[in-house]
Amino acid sequence: MHIPDGILPAAVCFGGYATTGAITWYSLRKINQKDDPREGIPKASLLTAAFFVASWIHIPIPPSSVHLVLNGLLGVVLGYYAFPAILIGLFFQAVMFQHGGLTTLGVNATMMGMPALLAYYLFRLRTVLGRKGNRLGDRKGRPYQALTGAFGFLAGAGGLGIAALIAVALLITTIPTYLDVEAERASIYALTLAHVPLMVIEGTFTALVVLFLQRVSPELLGD
Amino acid sequence: MKLGLDEYGHLDSLLHQWEPKYKLVGLMGLILAFSFVQDPRLLPAMLAITLALYALSRLPLSFLIARLRYPGFFLLMVAILLPFLSGSTVLLRIGPLAVRQEGCLDLLLVASKFVSILTLSLILFGTAPFLDIIKAMRSLGLPFVLADMTLLTYRYIYEIGDDLERMQTAMGLRGFQARYLGGRVLRVLASLAGSVLVRSYERSERVYKAMVLRGYGQPTRPSAEPRSRFGDLAWLFAFLLLAAGFIAAEIVLRQGQG
Amino acid sequence: MEYQPQQVKPTNPDDPALSVSDLTFSYPDKDDVLRRLSLEVRPGERVGLIGPNGAGKTTLFLLVCGVLKPDAGEIRLFEQPVAPGKFRPDIGMVFQNPDDQLFCPSVRDDVAFGPANMGLPRAEVEARVREALSTAGALELADRPPHHLSGGEKRMVSIAGVLAMRPRLVVYDEPSASLDIHSRRRLIRFLQASQETILIASHDLELILEVCDRVVLIDEGRIVAKGDPTEIMDDVELMEAHGLERPHSLAPHVEPHHERPRVARHF
Repeated sequence: MHIPDGILPAAVCFGGYATTGAITWYSLRKINQKDDPREGIPKASLLTAAFFVASWIHIPIPPSSVHLVLNGLLGVVLGYYAFPAILIGLFFQAVMFQHGGLTTLGVNATMMGMPALLAYYLFRLRTVLGRKGNRLGDRKGRPYQALTGAFGFLAGAGGLGIAALIAVALLITTIPTYLDVEAERASIYALTLAHVPLMVIEGTFTALVVLFLQRVSPELLGD
Repeated sequence: MKLGLDEYGHLDSLLHQWEPKYKLVGLMGLILAFSFVQDPRLLPAMLAITLALYALSRLPLSFLIARLRYPGFFLLMVAILLPFLSGSTVLLRIGPLAVRQEGCLDLLLVASKFVSILTLSLILFGTAPFLDIIKAMRSLGLPFVLADMTLLTYRYIYEIGDDLERMQTAMGLRGFQARYLGGRVLRVLASLAGSVLVRSYERSERVYKAMVLRGYGQPTRPSAEPRSRFGDLAWLFAFLLLAAGFIAAEIVLRQGQG
Repeated sequence: MEYQPQQVKPTNPDDPALSVSDLTFSYPDKDDVLRRLSLEVRPGERVGLIGPNGAGKTTLFLLVCGVLKPDAGEIRLFEQPVAPGKFRPDIGMVFQNPDDQLFCPSVRDDVAFGPANMGLPRAEVEARVREALSTAGALELADRPPHHLSGGEKRMVSIAGVLAMRPRLVVYDEPSASLDIHSRRRLIRFLQASQETILIASHDLELILEVCDRVVLIDEGRIVAKGDPTEIMDDVELMEAHGLERPHSLAPHVEPHHERPRVARHF
């Protein structure tokens, strides 16, 4: 759902650059506040590359297949590095595969990156809820699997859903059509609803990966 | 796995010789100016300049076609709706559908802008090693977090891509086929993705140690600025002038209509 | 933290290059990885570290380089205490997997990484890059991306990246792992010709025999034996008691022993 070059008016593109610039600035500030911002860079970079590669995995939907977006999962794992990671990932996709665009880099980054950050905040909720003394986690302060799975699902589905909503809304409102406002709104809802099956797949997949990580390498989830 | 555009980066053309830093600013300026164009009367000029620049770059036509093919196809799939949705002047009716004039112009506009902008970006990234472009961005002020992340990501995409391929081969050799959408398939693919993530994470810890051992984090001297030749600046000026020209023309034409 | 070039003290040949005393270290999930380990290495010596997996060899290297902080004990490098986290280009470490160490998109940039962080002027950095690459025999690879290199080439480039800092002590972690025969021979010749003080951890016992003056056998975080490589590695009981084997070249070639055991095969 990356928006390619040529469709959006320049004003929207500039707006996209502005919002991406602001969120990037905010993310970098948060990163630089850490004791050693450089320590997280190799981890974030290699995980960015890993996500880039992981999104090449074909999920079969007969008769063909889809690639997942995984922005929700990226937010869960990378935290404040998620937005720069998405920006860089999108840049590589645009340059290497002509997927997405350079003028629309700002728009695409905000569209995918903001839900990633929201997914991060949402998942933090799960960590807080699952801590010691709470019925949702075990005595050692580790959140239960069910809780982790549920929040993983929400992060994945939400990540895709919000991005899809923004993409659809942008496209419909910027392309001059003969549809009136109500029809526009209706078509936005309809097109977003059409993404629900994908949201379910993305959510399920995210939940499964998150559960895998919880078992194998919980530090990646911040546990 | 061809992941860069560098295949023709070693050729010799005026565009290849243009210092990456100025090339970046000049071409991006023109790209942004093109994105501003809404008036169909500017399209011939836009396309002419684009094609002239491509010819100047000595990049092969096959390269352009190969790169434009799939994205162009997908764009067309979406944009083909425009003549049926956009505008009010009906040109002809095909059954219940109405082909509208404004929509046809919109389609032409979208297609032309797409082709022009993509061609210019192929020129930008195809006439210099990718690495040099990142260094140029760094010298233009890209924050170190982004620059370091970009370089490291670029370096390890190949390795991690190889990891994935190897794991998929191994899975295939043990009989796994992702043919249907089901619980087991998703679980296996999720483990695959998870493994890629964990391996990359573990590698990143070793990479960080290796970087620290060779002094990562020490303040470094700023690398020497490449000497800007007159030609580099002249080209930059020309490009920015051209970009400004398009924007001005667009504004004038819009006012004329309004 | 800012790197200050240390006052160059003339190397007193009597001072040990490395002295480790009572070094103790545990990981959060693994206790007693190193237990009161003491070791001394003289300048110019080539010491081989052998031992089973998990014995603590890599951990020892990371502690000596200052990447990890010891729980107890002291480490001195050329008579200066090692401060964890402080950048000391007089020691260099060659990692087991060269991909972990070649993190720049081009060979030239990677080899320049160390000298650049030492604050050297650009011309000096370039000179060091050339010097290191030619010592490692990899000068023609300078402008290649690391991804396109073979295993042996990656190995030599990663060594060049460390040599560019002109370390006085170089620590090698399994340097011949996954090298083909030709590359391995090249590595052995390189190690035999090197001027620095060297510590090599390796399962490649034949390499250790060919390169090292002294061998240290480590198991379960303690030094079990140290001394002449041939003497130690010829002690079959000792080697097998610590998860190792006598290197084949030391086996007396008197009785025929190249027979493969006959196992019944059913098809």
